[in-house]
Amino acid sequence: MSAADGVLAPATRQAIRVKHFVRGALVTGDAVRHTSRDLGVDFTTPAIDLDALIAPRSEMPPLFDTKLADIVDFLVETGARLDLDRNPYLQESLEFVAATNPLPRRIVESLFRRARQFLTRDALMASMHANFPDLRCFDEWVERTDAHGQSAALRAFPPRLIHMLAGNSPASCISSIAQGAMLKAVNVFKMPSSDPFSCVAVLRTMADIDSGHPVVKSMSAVYWRGGDERIERTIYRPQYFNRIIAWGGGSAIDNVIRYLSPGLQLLSFDPKTSISMIGPEAFQSSAAIAQVAEAAAEDVTTFNQEACLASRILFVEGAPGGVEEFCEKLQQRMGVDRPLASAVAPLPPAELREEIDMLKLMEGEAKVWGKFDGRGMVILTGEPVEFHPTGKIANVVHVRKLEDAIRHVNVATQTVGIYPEATKVRLRDRLANAGAQRVVRLGSASKHVGGAPHDAMFPLQRLVHWMSQENA
Amino acid sequence: MGACVERLTKLVDDPERFAIPYTDLRAAQIAAMNERFQERKQRIKLLAHRAREAGVGEIRSREDMVPLLFPHTAYKSYPESFLSEQKWDRLGKWLGTISPYPIAPIETGDIGGIDEWIGRLESKGHYISCSSGTTGKSAMLLASGADMQWSRRDTVGVFSWGSGVQPARDRRMFGVAPIAHVPKNVTIAEAQAAAFGDPRFVPFRLPVPPITVGQLTKMVVLRKAMAEGSARPGDIAEFEATSKARQESLENAMAIAAEALIAARADKLYISGLWNALYQVAKLVREKGFGAKDFHPDNCIYVGGGLKRALLPPDYQQFVHETFNIPAERNFQNYSMQELNSGMPRCQQGGRYHVPPWMVPFLLNKQGDALLPHAAGELEGRAAFFDLALDGRWNGVISGDKISLDLSACKCGAKSPSIRDNIVRYADLEGDDKIGCAGTVDAYVRGLS
Repeated sequence: MSAADGVLAPATRQAIRVKHFVRGALVTGDAVRHTSRDLGVDFTTPAIDLDALIAPRSEMPPLFDTKLADIVDFLVETGARLDLDRNPYLQESLEFVAATNPLPRRIVESLFRRARQFLTRDALMASMHANFPDLRCFDEWVERTDAHGQSAALRAFPPRLIHMLAGNSPASCISSIAQGAMLKAVNVFKMPSSDPFSCVAVLRTMADIDSGHPVVKSMSAVYWRGGDERIERTIYRPQYFNRIIAWGGGSAIDNVIRYLSPGLQLLSFDPKTSISMIGPEAFQSSAAIAQVAEAAAEDVTTFNQEACLASRILFVEGAPGGVEEFCEKLQQRMGVDRPLASAVAPLPPAELREEIDMLKLMEGEAKVWGKFDGRGMVILTGEPVEFHPTGKIANVVHVRKLEDAIRHVNVATQTVGIYPEATKVRLRDRLANAGAQRVVRLGSASKHVGGAPHDAMFPLQRLVHWMSQENA
Repeated sequence: MGACVERLTKLVDDPERFAIPYTDLRAAQIAAMNERFQERKQRIKLLAHRAREAGVGEIRSREDMVPLLFPHTAYKSYPESFLSEQKWDRLGKWLGTISPYPIAPIETGDIGGIDEWIGRLESKGHYISCSSGTTGKSAMLLASGADMQWSRRDTVGVFSWGSGVQPARDRRMFGVAPIAHVPKNVTIAEAQAAAFGDPRFVPFRLPVPPITVGQLTKMVVLRKAMAEGSARPGDIAEFEATSKARQESLENAMAIAAEALIAARADKLYISGLWNALYQVAKLVREKGFGAKDFHPDNCIYVGGGLKRALLPPDYQQFVHETFNIPAERNFQNYSMQELNSGMPRCQQGGRYHVPPWMVPFLLNKQGDALLPHAAGELEGRAAFFDLALDGRWNGVISGDKISLDLSACKCGAKSPSIRDNIVRYADLEGDDKIGCAGTVDAYVRGLS
């Protein structure tokens, strides 16, 4: 060993100090050192005091007696304070997230600026109304009588939740915090290594409004390395939690599954992939092609194609000349800056390069537009490529009829962006049968209609503890 | 083979081949790499493409070679549907992009499966070995007859250097691993038996049907059908029944191997296998009440590959050695990979893997796209190698391994570069902390791993 040469000794790097938030109180310390999963950035966290983290069942949930309307008021007030230009906690966490997250700083900033849009009264109430027929259940026991004249009362009782936040979408913690608050839940947020900051920043903003507010008292946000048995084996028990909410798929979920048992259920938002379908109407003029290429580029590049709703495979039906012109324009439009996409994005994984090079070298397999330079590539084939397009790679698949593409829709398909409008209606039943969850306008994959289901379900109803008082 | 390459590869039989310090080899290795590059840059399509993109026309330094090294994934870049839909002509065309020799035309109309396709190519001098990707795609590694001959020579030399065992044809051979029946494995097994095996005994082979590439890829093909939703319950049930039967037959074979080893305990043995199989057999031998005291004191052991993610107790190596009475100085380990044609034996005193003169080691950054500055001492990085001995495909490959390479002399006295015995795969370092909303249908396929 030649440590004397200094070659083996890693440079002493300054680790970022991650703060925890435990049931309303900020916790600092640097007892544990970690390395972030994606970019290998070092950070430290305080030790986790599990007794402090887990609220005993002998205590009533802090939010039990708070009216839903008051909770919504508090969330709206929080939203007003989550202004990146004025909020020092957000500003600080933006810098840290930019260091630990693969998304470029500018996109993280866009996400931070947008996230508060969910914290408006309209948006919050739309999601509650979509999930629950009668919101009075949150504030009182709601009486009802069955067909035989027997009376009962129903209450949406606060659940105990662990939220496993997704690593690929910083600031998505804001909607999770809001949902947890409106359900009056006792909440633990397990932060991802690519963003162990923003959740605490939001909670600190809340604590500044009113440190004793029951919403604040019902929230904890901590980081431990996913799979850390010392923590997970101890706390993943129905005595402590009702539900684990996993915002995505991946190895972190495989760990959790081991601990599921009667009384402790997993609500997982599964790992998904998205596609587009474009009919012959798109290829009838250069003007139409340009417009459709722009819409398709919007869907392909969203989150630099890191998100589930980003389109990866685009099935097209139309004349070959028009399709090739579309491919060329699509590639050009993939190389521009957008609020949620970079003109030059991080490169795709190296093994994709091998596969794409090979398609190019084997004549007759594919036509390729663009280079391996982060500006986006378009690959035109007759069958979908067998790798997972990522890092701004669009696979345009030329099909005889769009109906022929339905066999490529499967249980992992989330969003299908369709052009033109009428085709959406024509295909939607068969798409649903194959597994798809959402048909949208081409170019609108990342826009959402308030109160829409998520992952083919209304998740909030599955989180509450429905308590029934019966007088039969 | 050019003169510069031959100057280094002819050292294969030189007992002092690991005595040459890296500094003495550097210039000769660069010249030899350039020679290989010049003779192949027009012949291997993928290499020509890479050279054009990188603007490299000549190798004047190690840096020049970096953009031309093929990632190990290049050998998995064929579309899986070529296999699952039996598109043999297109698979042949794919081979043509990585082969320095034109792929001889073969009749494909009547081919029933990949084993037949491989067999037909073999009869034309193209030897294809597949890595046994457990869930993912197998790499398809093309080699030539010259590569098979080289393997035959190299493997004997490597084992002899690393274990101190002379090729005296005085050992009873025991193969106790279910090893894939691919040309490279078969060649190595034959060469070892011919060099070390006592001709009075028939070498023991685990009595299981050979594991062919067709069997290895069957699972991959079924996985794809399951993901697409086109696999029927009957297909899955049949596959599971076959897997179960194979597992049972393997367990029977292990019991037979244990009995045979016990019966041969008085003879001088050469035991080969993978750690998992060796451990299972050793356990059976112990259960029958036999151990070190019963076996010959000069037994030796050849272990191929790493743990392959098998879960074994921490003292598994010691347990195997003690069971079969393997003396400490016979503890042989070899670092190599299907992607290379030569081995790197571990020395007894330093416990390090030694790099032969015809193998040019590169330490790259984690991404595998830049050479780490490394003039002396030990440094950690992604392993890449240029195996000058390779004939049937491009010599330069970037591995998935993280290694510590030392350019200075080893404790054992050998002056060649050497690799610390702490090799890990980058893929295994990823950890299990990942969560994200984007994913593929692979996450929805259960039970095929």
